[in-house]
Amino acid sequence: MTEEYDVEFVEREDREARFLVRGVTPAFANGIRRAMIADVPTMAIDTVRFVENSSVMFDEQLALRLGLVPLTTPPVGEFVEDDTVTLSIDVEGPATAYSGNLVSSDSLVQPADENVPIIDLKDGQRLEAEAEVVLDRGKNHAKHQGGVAVGYRHLQRVEVVGDVPEFEEPDERIVRGVIEDDGELVPTSEFDHDLTNRYPDQEVAIEDVPNAFVFHVETDGSFTVEELVTRAAETIEARATELEEAVQL
Amino acid sequence: MSYKCSRCKRDVQLDEYGGVRCPYCGHRVLLKERSRDVKEVGVQ
Repeated sequence: MTEEYDVEFVEREDREARFLVRGVTPAFANGIRRAMIADVPTMAIDTVRFVENSSVMFDEQLALRLGLVPLTTPPVGEFVEDDTVTLSIDVEGPATAYSGNLVSSDSLVQPADENVPIIDLKDGQRLEAEAEVVLDRGKNHAKHQGGVAVGYRHLQRVEVVGDVPEFEEPDERIVRGVIEDDGELVPTSEFDHDLTNRYPDQEVAIEDVPNAFVFHVETDGSFTVEELVTRAAETIEARATELEEAVQL
Repeated sequence: MSYKCSRCKRDVQLDEYGGVRCPYCGHRVLLKERSRDVKEVGVQ
């Protein structure tokens, strides 16, 4: 850390959030981003046993679709990476098989969304299968990625430096993310990402605020944004501890 | 090997000398029946 460390939420929902982190280096910000994508273990289907599949799709195609259904991930300590949970599905046409039709053997592991379509079954078609769910990391397979859209931008400070000369047509000034205006954090979506909407007829100067990053994090529903960020930080800590112990040997 | 005639939907057993033809209706398009075994597929 380079200076006083500070976190401030700009937008906050269960699955999506935007927050400002001050006092971290670009390397640390990128480390957190990568940990959120690749290092936080989540539950996903690993093998599927098809008892009956008279749908129009091959077993392998359906297995891939089932593998990509986001599942809720239990709290840390409830499962280790070798434990399995069984999900089963039995749908007969005419009907659409949805993720909500998956029945879990463990209440902690459920489909995060009920309305993910798996296959449309016509009259007389049937899908009956059992699936094994395992805990693994995004770096091994994308189906285990808890963070689906994780990125960050520099916080940008905007200052009014003068007026646009009279009779001059102002150009668009497009910025994306969050700006800091006199200490206030303003998402650029509030003024359609165009500074001329917020500062009409004024000249503005934009600069990146050093070591201040605005993260935009979206999860697949495995857990909340807070949990994803916390678990990502814990994986970095665990690896740092592992390195420390290895060096001391 | 068990097949099903695509026209009359009846079960057909193919033998070595009979050729690919439904013995009931003479149709030449036969569909292979799915095995009743449970099939395990990995999600990779």
